[in-house]
Amino acid sequence: MAIVTTEHDGGHGRESGHGEGHHDTPQQRDGKERLALWLFIAGDAVIVALLIFTWIYTRALNTNGMWRGAACTVANPCTDGLGNPLTHEVPKADPWYSVGIAALAVVAALVFWNAERSARDRAGRSAIAGQASLGVLVLLVAIGVQCYQFTALPFTTIVGTYASSFEFFMGSTLAHLLVLAFIGFGMWNRARAGRYDDGRWYQVRLIRFFAVWIALSICLLTFVMSVFA
Amino acid sequence: MGRDNEVTTDTAPGRLEDTALGPQAGGLYRRQNLITGLLCGVVLAVLGWLLSHALVQGSHWGTDMVVTVTMVCWVLGFNAGMGTFNAPIRWALGHDQSDEDLLYAAGVGQGAKRYWKFCTDHKVVGTQYLVLVLILFFVGGGLALLIRTQLITPHSSFLSPQTYNTLVTVHGTTMIVATIIMVTGPFTNFVVPIMIGAKDMAFPRLNAASFWIVVSAVPCLLAVFFLGGVNAGWTTYAPLSVQDPPAMDTFALTILVFVTSVTIAGVNIIVTVFTMRAKGMTLGRLPIFTWGSVLGTGLGLYAMPAFFLAMLLMITDRATGTSFFVAAQGGTGWLYENVFWIMGHPEVYVILIPPVAAMLEVASTFARKPLFGYAVVLGAFVAIDGLSILVWAHHMFTTGYAPDLSGPFMLTTELISIPTGLVFLCIIGTLWRGSIWTRLPMYFVYLFLWNFIIGGVTGIYLSDVPADEAFHNSMFVTAHFHYTLLGGAMIAAAAAWCYWFPKVSGRMLNERIGKIAFWLIAVGIQITYIGMFWEGFQGMPRRVAYYDPIFLRANQMATGGSYILFLGWLVLLYCIIHSWRNGAQAPANPWGGKGLEWKVPTPVPLENFLVEPVVTSDPYGYGEPETNGKPEPTEAPHEPELVPAMVDEVPAGGGEL
Amino acid sequence: MEAKPFFSRPGGKIFVIWLLMTIIGVVIGLYAPKHLMPQMVSIEGHRAVLTVVVFTVLAAPVAALVWAVGTYSLLAWRRGAPETPPEDGPPIRGNGPLTIVWLIVTSFLCIVLLVWGLAELSADTAPHSNALQVDVTGQQWLWTFGYPGTGVQSRTLVLPVNRPVQFNVTSEDVTHGFWSLSLGVQIDANPDVVTTLLATPNKLGSFVVRCSQICGIYHAFMYAPGKVVTTTQFAQWLQSQGASAAKADLAARVTP
Repeated sequence: MAIVTTEHDGGHGRESGHGEGHHDTPQQRDGKERLALWLFIAGDAVIVALLIFTWIYTRALNTNGMWRGAACTVANPCTDGLGNPLTHEVPKADPWYSVGIAALAVVAALVFWNAERSARDRAGRSAIAGQASLGVLVLLVAIGVQCYQFTALPFTTIVGTYASSFEFFMGSTLAHLLVLAFIGFGMWNRARAGRYDDGRWYQVRLIRFFAVWIALSICLLTFVMSVFA
Repeated sequence: MGRDNEVTTDTAPGRLEDTALGPQAGGLYRRQNLITGLLCGVVLAVLGWLLSHALVQGSHWGTDMVVTVTMVCWVLGFNAGMGTFNAPIRWALGHDQSDEDLLYAAGVGQGAKRYWKFCTDHKVVGTQYLVLVLILFFVGGGLALLIRTQLITPHSSFLSPQTYNTLVTVHGTTMIVATIIMVTGPFTNFVVPIMIGAKDMAFPRLNAASFWIVVSAVPCLLAVFFLGGVNAGWTTYAPLSVQDPPAMDTFALTILVFVTSVTIAGVNIIVTVFTMRAKGMTLGRLPIFTWGSVLGTGLGLYAMPAFFLAMLLMITDRATGTSFFVAAQGGTGWLYENVFWIMGHPEVYVILIPPVAAMLEVASTFARKPLFGYAVVLGAFVAIDGLSILVWAHHMFTTGYAPDLSGPFMLTTELISIPTGLVFLCIIGTLWRGSIWTRLPMYFVYLFLWNFIIGGVTGIYLSDVPADEAFHNSMFVTAHFHYTLLGGAMIAAAAAWCYWFPKVSGRMLNERIGKIAFWLIAVGIQITYIGMFWEGFQGMPRRVAYYDPIFLRANQMATGGSYILFLGWLVLLYCIIHSWRNGAQAPANPWGGKGLEWKVPTPVPLENFLVEPVVTSDPYGYGEPETNGKPEPTEAPHEPELVPAMVDEVPAGGGEL
Repeated sequence: MEAKPFFSRPGGKIFVIWLLMTIIGVVIGLYAPKHLMPQMVSIEGHRAVLTVVVFTVLAAPVAALVWAVGTYSLLAWRRGAPETPPEDGPPIRGNGPLTIVWLIVTSFLCIVLLVWGLAELSADTAPHSNALQVDVTGQQWLWTFGYPGTGVQSRTLVLPVNRPVQFNVTSEDVTHGFWSLSLGVQIDANPDVVTTLLATPNKLGSFVVRCSQICGIYHAFMYAPGKVVTTTQFAQWLQSQGASAAKADLAARVTP
């Protein structure tokens, strides 16, 4: 392979005295982080797609009629996980909690979008930090509601694949919200520390991408949970 | 430009590795190493065990939940103690690591200790991975030897059925884990950044994290032996896996952790190759190994999440009482099988493509010819990637699920033979009229050619649905995938070991010992797996601890072969260790290779290049006439005194430099 | 100017090596499956053996081509193992026409395989009237075979010759694999679903049913003997298992 060695950075490395490797330019760093984020989102998208597949598939197969326990009758009672007899269908869960959580996730994404706008317009540390803290607050409320929903389900034990899938989707939503809340918390701290001053707003934009993905995936799962009960 | 004459001692750059760092550089990293990792892991695991034990009292959650929580705490604790979480936590608190911290994290000033720490230098991570995969491969191989020993006689009392099934499962999983990272762990990490003219991977801290995360998964797998064993084979089909002892929880967790590591590594590799190439390193000039790494790990990004989900669904079925796979409660084993094989088929190409790409580099270098059909190979890899996503149900032909889909999946499966065949064309095209230099790495290229044809052809039998009905889950299948994965991927990986060994270790491999190993391995593979084909033809199922006496001769052949094979691998391991310690010093370019990795000195300095190279051609310029009347530069211009070995260093007349 | 004789040119020498290897491969294909695989007792089993033979014979020349070129490269162009690399070979970066020919030939072979497979598949799955129904139930760790309409449950699978059989397969617990190589059948036994499979025994003899899907500790012990017998013997056997004479006779000849 033919190579021609050449200076870089206008001789910067030489001056620093130890030939230190160059730092990435901001564009290089942002480009790397953006590609990495898209790749992670792609992986997460595969999981979400498979979750939806799991729901649709087990519902369609309805093995033993036990999607919601419809095979249970008085004459032939099914038992729950503890051996207690069930003689009726597992009731459908109230979708409104999940819809509310999805709505809150959308609100959080919009807040982060606004934060990106603030950062890009160089609106100052407190503006960005304020948006970030608002976003985190919204997410904490969503997390709280999600945790509460676990206790508010009409099925107390897990019977039938509907109940299993429903709770699994709730768990997935909770996990994603927690990750986003952590990232939002980081954004709040970093905004206050001045990491997004002077037009260094690109990370805020990436956080917005991620928040939008989280909101989108939660909406997708909620749609499936509500419509295909 | 006058640079040559303006170097004074005041501004003479020294080696980056020799930078003097302040006493606080590195922060918490200074105090973290494998010992702190182990301590934190154990402490947190004990705490987790106590806490979960207390919490499950009086609930219907039991041992499975306790085991899962304990092992999760182990993983988190170990990684916290290693320093994996330092950077994200600092990020979230609004601080960043300083340049000095990053230099410390890259291993400056720590000597050999850096191999026991969270070290971000991609060469250190590559070496750490090399040691890890060797350990995993030989442990997995030892388990195989135990399995084959049980099968010397039809009704041996060497192992109990539970132990046997556990060994089969752990052998399979250890090998899957090892082969997924076999070439991408050590060599993509060590060599690819240099190959593309970069100073490190795109995310050096993520790189180190991916290594230590895999390490944390290993005790989870070993814990299987202490928690009752598992019965379900590495494929751990539900509902059997839902039924198994608590060992299955730690098994599933191993996979969850491993998949996380592979995903992180895959993202790192792809971002590195697409954003960190040196000037002039266009995508069309990329060495094929770089493409193989990208396409292999990229496919993994699609497949690994499916593995993650399958295991997570299994854990919730076991620990929290969900019923995804429990038919009585509306679940179905077919759900597991579909999700699993959506991962399982692409996964074999994740295993296969990087070593094959590495082997193509070897073939080119040792035939002294350009790679034949670069674009064809690239297209074939892409086609294999794409098609492999569409074939998963050929593992499910006999499940009784959706028989109408058998035809379409047979079609897509048989289509994969076309791009695979094109890769073979390019291998033999590279050899054609070459100047065949029969050093040790080249031996493995020829063995690959032999083995993989047999493996590939027998795969075609299995892709035919009625023939699959005959052979599915018999030892025929076992022989087929060992021919492709061991005879193919592992042999290609061995070629890669021998090829880059001088660059990684600074020593030359002892080829005399290496050739003994090679012949033992080559002969061992044939005897062992032809014996297994025989077993399969006769109708012996796989994963059985006892068998009908009519299978005796075939089993004796396979077991005898396996001893020879294992001995061969042991000799190769000995060769590697012995050469690493006592081998002749390796020059920077012992093979006359044309890639950038051969233009840097051995040992490779921190950040690889003192100045960023500018590339003007691909690394396959063997035999090409001089361009424009000017000879290709053999020395790096302008800085001979700074970059003493940045030339094609081929020692004249002897090995020692 | 004389052209070099064929067998002293590279192509000629490769042809010789190729021919030798192909012949060996064809011989293996004709000999190995028939002699290593057990006696087949059904149409499907015989078809499977035929497939293996045909595929091996078809694969032999393709494998031999790759191996012949590889072998020849070692014979003709080997430069030994000196310390320094030998001089470079010619800068051949590819060959468009060759690649296209290769692509076409391999695609054609692929289509042949596919057509063969689809034809076989449709023959194996063609519905049969008057198929004998046999219920196969797997459990940890034994097989039970039931003959609907006769009340017979047996641990041995007995089948009448020359009559299609439909197996209705299920499991009591985990997934098992209902497999008999000689009978040319394999299908999983899944809990709470019934999967079906057809076969037509056409030769008297015995076979073994083995579990092919690992199912727990004693998976290796999960096998059952089987026999293909004449129709009369089949009716007699049913009676010996407790069926009434009338039912046994009916089941032997007609689907209940």
